[in-house]
Amino acid sequence: MSTLEAELEARCATALREHLDGAGESSLNAAYELGRDALSRGFGILDFTAILHAALAEVVFSAEPGHGREVVGRAQAFLLECYSPFEMAHRGAREANAALRRLDEVREAEARRLARELHDEAGQMLAAAHLTLREAAAELGLHAYQPLARVHDHLRKAEWELRRIAHEMRPSMLDDLGLGPALEFLAKGISARHGLVVRIEGALETRLAHDVETALYRVAQEAFNNAAKHAGAREVRLSVSLAADRLRLSVADDGRGFDARSVANGKSGSGLGLAGIRERLEPLGGSLKVRSAPGKGTVLIIDLPIAMEEHAARFAG
Amino acid sequence: MKETIGEKGRVQIDGDRAIVSARQQGRALALGLGFSAGCATLVATAISELARNILLYAGQGEIELKPIERTGDEGLMIMARDHGPGIGNVRRAMEDGYSTSGRMGLGLPGVRRLMDEFEVQSATGGGTQIRAVKWKRAGASA
Repeated sequence: MSTLEAELEARCATALREHLDGAGESSLNAAYELGRDALSRGFGILDFTAILHAALAEVVFSAEPGHGREVVGRAQAFLLECYSPFEMAHRGAREANAALRRLDEVREAEARRLARELHDEAGQMLAAAHLTLREAAAELGLHAYQPLARVHDHLRKAEWELRRIAHEMRPSMLDDLGLGPALEFLAKGISARHGLVVRIEGALETRLAHDVETALYRVAQEAFNNAAKHAGAREVRLSVSLAADRLRLSVADDGRGFDARSVANGKSGSGLGLAGIRERLEPLGGSLKVRSAPGKGTVLIIDLPIAMEEHAARFAG
Repeated sequence: MKETIGEKGRVQIDGDRAIVSARQQGRALALGLGFSAGCATLVATAISELARNILLYAGQGEIELKPIERTGDEGLMIMARDHGPGIGNVRRAMEDGYSTSGRMGLGLPGVRRLMDEFEVQSATGGGTQIRAVKWKRAGASA
């Protein structure tokens, strides 16, 4: 036990004895300040509980025989005071989590607007360019055929790129058709650009809550990019499985891998966008596990709870 | 909305002993209104943080505690007043991380989360008044 813990435990036992001796509010105030101190010194709720438990045990065992039950009963108000600062901090964290979730929604809405504008505005201009090209071809005759055909090819490529960028910014497919088709389209784009084989399998036909689909799409996007850009993978396999109230998504690549422990400890920076993936999942109560070793490829395993009512609707529909 | 304000208790906040006294009155009032032990604890916590805020920024002030009734629901109102320099930027003071305690979710933002209603009136140089209410019906410790 550290000296800090020993000091807290001693203070705690003293205040608890005073409380049991009938010190009233002043000992409850001491209990509150104790909890506040523990919190501000960085104690977690488990460490703090261990300290409280040790102090309580000390007081109970030194109580007169037969008084243990009474001591435990009267300790309630004292314990509530000790934990109250943690309750405040906990509510703060819950609120921050909700704010983070709203922020993600705002970010997605903005991306959706930009993607639509890009697609519509630039799409119209490209359509106009095609028309002009056709007119020019009619006017210039056969000798201009080859250079105009090349312009036509460039325009087609620009169209495809535009569609891809708009899609990856915010796939309207995700809203309209769901995760499966959106991931298939994403996979096609990644394959075309990086020469990576992308396999998608598992339970993708069921529609999930809007924010869950968005988060999973973004996670897959980040994972595919990692596999292609950083891991130098040749193949990446994404699979989704649904259990009663949980969804599991795994993304495995055959790339160069890395020391998962050093990344988990933050020693090699959050790099690889893994921190971004965690941030996406946290507001939804999801978690990320990373399995990797140099030369052994990388597997990301995402576990996400799915609300019961969505579950019921899914299985009913 | 009809609001009835009951018997008041005032405590001058000028030191740690006064905090204990304000907490004691707040807890007694809460338990008298039928609040749960957990809920009475949250009221005492709010009083501690408000009193701490007074001592820290104004040196002294007062905390007033009263039962309150609105459309059949009973509640407890805490009014914290001081004549200190005032909170120049109330919005900033309400952000987590503005002060050391705010970084842990304590301080004024913490009080707002524990109570059902929370309102700060402050003008630079004109002191600060904070009104916080906990309703009985809002739930055991919500």
